[in-house]
Amino acid sequence: MYLESRRTFLKGAAFTVAGAAIAKGVFETDAVADSVTSSKFTNTPDSISFYPPVEEWNDFQELDGDDWKRGGIERNGVRSEANPDGIKVNDYTIVPTVCSNCEAGCGLTAWVEKSEFSAGRLNVRKYMGNPLHDGSRGRNCAKGYATLSQMYDPDRIPFPLKRAPGSKRGDGKWIRTTWDEAMATIGKKMHDTLAVGDELSKKSMIYHVGRPNENGFGHRVPHSMGIDGYNSHTNICSAGARQGSIQWANDDRNSPDWKNAELVFLQSSHAADAGHYFQQSAGLIADARKRGAKMVVLDPRLSNSAGIADLWLPVWPGTETALYLYLANRVLHEKDLNGEDLVDHEFVKDWINWDRLMADKDYLQKMVGFDYIKAVPKDDSYESFIEMMKEIYAPFTKEYIAKECKIEGYEYKLDELFDMYINAGNKIATYIWRSGPIAHRGGWMIARSAFLSLALRGALRGDVGGTSWHHWHEISVAGKGEKATVAGERPPKVDVWNEIAWPPEYPLSSYEMSMLMPHLLTDTEWQQKWKKKGLNIPTKLSVWFPRMYNPVWINPDGFRWIEVLKDEKKVELTFNLSPTWSETNWYCDYILPTGLAGERNDQQSTPSKPEQRIEFRQAVIRVAAERMGWKAKDPSRATLEAHMKFGLGEVWEESEFFPNLMVHHVDKDGSLGVRKYWASKKDPSRAVSVPEYFDAAMSLLPKLSETAKKMYPDAEFPVYDYMSVHGAWTEKKNVYKPQEEELKVEGSYLHAHGKKYHKDEVRQDEFGALWVKHGKHEKSVGVEIDGKLHAGFHTLSKKLELYSSWFAEWKWPEYAIPMYPRNEGEYDKMIHLVTQVHHKFMKEDNEFALNTVFRLPYNIHTRSVNSKHLMEISQNHNPVWINTADADRLGIKRGEAIKVEIVDTVSELSSGYFIAMAVPTEATMPGVLANSHHAGRWKLTEAVEIPGFEHKLGVMGIGSPLYEMKNDGKIGSLTPTKGITPRHDIWKFKEFNKDLDNIWWDGLSGSWQNAVAPTHADPIAGNHAWHQKVVITKASATDKIGDITVNYENNFKTYQAWRDKLTRPLEAGDKLRRPQHIKRPAVPLSDKAYAIDIS
Amino acid sequence: MQEILNNQQARINIYALLSRLLMSEPDKTLLETIENDENIMAFFPNYAKWERRNEFNHDELLEQYINVDFTNLFLLHMVPYESFYMREDQMMETAGENPVLQLFNDHDFRVDLGKARAVSVDHIGIELEFMYLLCDSERKALEDGDKASACAIAKIQQKFLKEHLLEWAPMFLLNMKSEAGTALYFDVAEFALEFMLSDYEYLNALIKEDGCDYTV
Repeated sequence: MYLESRRTFLKGAAFTVAGAAIAKGVFETDAVADSVTSSKFTNTPDSISFYPPVEEWNDFQELDGDDWKRGGIERNGVRSEANPDGIKVNDYTIVPTVCSNCEAGCGLTAWVEKSEFSAGRLNVRKYMGNPLHDGSRGRNCAKGYATLSQMYDPDRIPFPLKRAPGSKRGDGKWIRTTWDEAMATIGKKMHDTLAVGDELSKKSMIYHVGRPNENGFGHRVPHSMGIDGYNSHTNICSAGARQGSIQWANDDRNSPDWKNAELVFLQSSHAADAGHYFQQSAGLIADARKRGAKMVVLDPRLSNSAGIADLWLPVWPGTETALYLYLANRVLHEKDLNGEDLVDHEFVKDWINWDRLMADKDYLQKMVGFDYIKAVPKDDSYESFIEMMKEIYAPFTKEYIAKECKIEGYEYKLDELFDMYINAGNKIATYIWRSGPIAHRGGWMIARSAFLSLALRGALRGDVGGTSWHHWHEISVAGKGEKATVAGERPPKVDVWNEIAWPPEYPLSSYEMSMLMPHLLTDTEWQQKWKKKGLNIPTKLSVWFPRMYNPVWINPDGFRWIEVLKDEKKVELTFNLSPTWSETNWYCDYILPTGLAGERNDQQSTPSKPEQRIEFRQAVIRVAAERMGWKAKDPSRATLEAHMKFGLGEVWEESEFFPNLMVHHVDKDGSLGVRKYWASKKDPSRAVSVPEYFDAAMSLLPKLSETAKKMYPDAEFPVYDYMSVHGAWTEKKNVYKPQEEELKVEGSYLHAHGKKYHKDEVRQDEFGALWVKHGKHEKSVGVEIDGKLHAGFHTLSKKLELYSSWFAEWKWPEYAIPMYPRNEGEYDKMIHLVTQVHHKFMKEDNEFALNTVFRLPYNIHTRSVNSKHLMEISQNHNPVWINTADADRLGIKRGEAIKVEIVDTVSELSSGYFIAMAVPTEATMPGVLANSHHAGRWKLTEAVEIPGFEHKLGVMGIGSPLYEMKNDGKIGSLTPTKGITPRHDIWKFKEFNKDLDNIWWDGLSGSWQNAVAPTHADPIAGNHAWHQKVVITKASATDKIGDITVNYENNFKTYQAWRDKLTRPLEAGDKLRRPQHIKRPAVPLSDKAYAIDIS
Repeated sequence: MQEILNNQQARINIYALLSRLLMSEPDKTLLETIENDENIMAFFPNYAKWERRNEFNHDELLEQYINVDFTNLFLLHMVPYESFYMREDQMMETAGENPVLQLFNDHDFRVDLGKARAVSVDHIGIELEFMYLLCDSERKALEDGDKASACAIAKIQQKFLKEHLLEWAPMFLLNMKSEAGTALYFDVAEFALEFMLSDYEYLNALIKEDGCDYTV
């Protein structure tokens, strides 16, 4: 080193170029600094918060995210006149809404850019969560954030389409029409149908609702027309689990307190990584686990949930019932470390209807006949009951369970499970929903048995950390806005019973038999049989209108749906209220584009935790425009007008469509008695508006109403305004043990469930239940326990019903208590409880149970195909999982195509096959394949040409390959011909789709296995039992992944076999269609409708 | 007075040159500027006699040697950021907690990191450009006859050298000198190190308790 003298450095002054010419010049001008100083923005926030306070939502500025990547305001400053290159400032109005991409109803906020309002454009720039939503707490899953990409899907249907005159359904020829023309045509057809006025006319229209995501508005549609015409998707979804809940508690489903649980008990991946209320539940489960709670996952497949569980227990699908009864057996027989019983006697004694069972000597005698017990107990005491229970469940030993559930060699896991179960006390939270209960014949008994073990431990008390029931944690007022209508009251009960939705073979089905609709419409033999017995069976439909549903694709036996929908004599008019292109659209007369999460108006309520909360989904562009002073010409069409004016397109939604349809078309002059239920009380010349209707409906919540009126004292619609600003409201928190709520006695009056009864009106039976007159019947309103009057559960006995007497009376006495075959010899005797994929049916090396009903966390049944980012992240994620040992034995390698043939175990007929990619893995148990039925979308054309419209309308261009279809009425096939490719041809929403040339996937994510699957209607719960017995072989050289071939003639025979061999139909002497005390969705029916007289 | 301004111009030019060379690769124009100016070349004695200069033209020199060396020294194997040297955990502080950023902000200076191709404002090239800007401001004050303001700016320079550049840049430059694969960067490292030390001595002599003595 040498030291330069300072003089040496003075040479610097003599440089031929000055410093300014040499320096890079990375420091910016003062304008940049000034722009930051004069703004509210800082380079780094003082605290991390995704959301501004609600007071700022109306008018909120935020730095643009894309620009932010350039380096933040410390580098570029804030954009202003003096600093035009600074970071852009977005000027938002933030409008809350609710996600509509699954049932969870998580809060969303739409961040609507205001700056283009004067130019006639309002765009949502992003969707975030809603921090005011107590369930989702400002968080969303991938599906929630996908709302933006769905909203600006380049293939979004821009206006109503009508089947081209002269073409047939399925030809794919469409013309552009208007909402008004569609309403006029549809309304006339509906009017003419109703005007006939006979019984059949009231069974001839069916509103078929997929994911409702609202609480009652849809029910009002058929109800107000006086028809029994509602079909839900429930029997392909959750009707099995619901049956178990109905029998125990006369409730629709259970409701866990995840956050405070000591044991999170999951059957399947539902709740923690997919499925019901997933995002909200997952957050609460994470909270619980952080606190130290354990998590058990019962699933033949190593789901994401199972992968992070404390215990993963793969059991043979459909045998879970046996496992639960094993737990019950141990709880009944064993003692804790202190020598105390494991049974929570206090709870069981007070709140289980053991007393009725012990008093029913006839039934006890039957139990002896069933060989459940050796002899009728010596007395009616509780102690004798417990002894009897020990006897009933003693056969469910560890040795038997290990064999039945196929966990030989892993018996120690049963002990681990039991220890966790016991250590959690009564703080066991579970959600028995899809997976087992929907997958199997007898799946409902899985739920029934799961609740037994919980009940014995006191975990069904609904206390902190335990499991309660759904209706206490949900608010349904969306169907109750009648005060805003001319009628001012609900429509009367409907007098007819629609056998297409509720056939006499399935009187106890939890929900409508909607997946059999095409079969029942074409089964002339069945129709004739019941006609001869005196029933007025519909043989066709005048109008069938699905909403947010794609039954052709998602239901089993899809080719049967296609056949029926193509037949204009069977289904005279069809229209689909559909936010997206779908396979079902193809076979409809009208495709009416309806709104997604930020384009609809619905009241929803999600029972994801022990509280009562509502959410309000609203059309955010309409709301944003109204905030900025815009007014609709017709307030009852404000959403449609806003969407058309501000650039979204002719997209509408049901809460404005149906009122307008009814008022101006179905019943113009009010002569049918329908109009008054939809005409505005404020202005009877028009339909009721969204603010009018939902203000009336949501005002039924007293605390919300009180708060809103204080907050908006001068508002015409204060409750609507509150919900429009906040998006969510929690009416009551910490709803625990509601059955124990004491009834108020005031002098001679008893207050129960919001009503007041004179003591002389109330009858108390020998078991303490309190009964009052209800029309021609009696209903129970409370129960006395130890001298106190309680609200009780929702059952007739007001207690949890271990013993379901009504179920016994309705032809199924042997299953009136939780039960399962206790040995191989009972499989045939109890065939209704034995899954169609039981291992007893697997005879050959290549015969497997196919597990179909797990969800892919980032897919939404049939509504993901319009979201680029969801499609991108889900590609190739749906192979056939096969255990490595099975794959080795059959010589199947990773990535190989296999032929999966579906064979029914009741009809013993083959349904055909699908070709899929095999992936050997340890993550599915031996003998059980896994392949979700939520993938495999198809289209028959890439784009539709609309005469007179300059652009072609793309069809599912980011999510579905092109297929070729053949079907001849008996055999159908589908084969993929072309994958999807990068897009350069879009004509709308370009600025939201800048990366459409970056499509690297071909869209082939699976096969349409749903079409191959025959219907498996559970003879009791009515649900489609999704799992299939399959035979696999290596695919031939000519087979392509995605190919399917279906023998749907055989599938028809399988539908008949399940119905005729397994059900116990109504018969001569039966007086009712169904027990009147259990729910009968969705239209309220009169005694006349319930009455039946079979000759 | 002119001598004072000449003196100041020398500091301006040298800080500018060093900041430029330590921030990004030279281009052909800069190489030509350096080579065509004997006053500049005087600071690069090893580069002046570097054989490669005779074997390759400027494009080739840049492509095959100088850019490669720059990448090695500034992007791949060394970390030319103050926070890396000053923090115990040797993490770079890229966010608002960086004291250099706070200092720049206090003086209403904003850095375009994109232009600098830096991830944080405490890059040696940026800190040297900051010194260049301070020197330039000082010169403007001197030209305006506002010696008080000029002195105040000189004090900022002194403080910045003391609390920042000289706290860490010598370590970096010594490492750079040892790692350099070309004569150019060997000379740049040595030049920068010596100049900063010398300039700090100058500022210490300049700044008195009651003001600045521009006669030094």
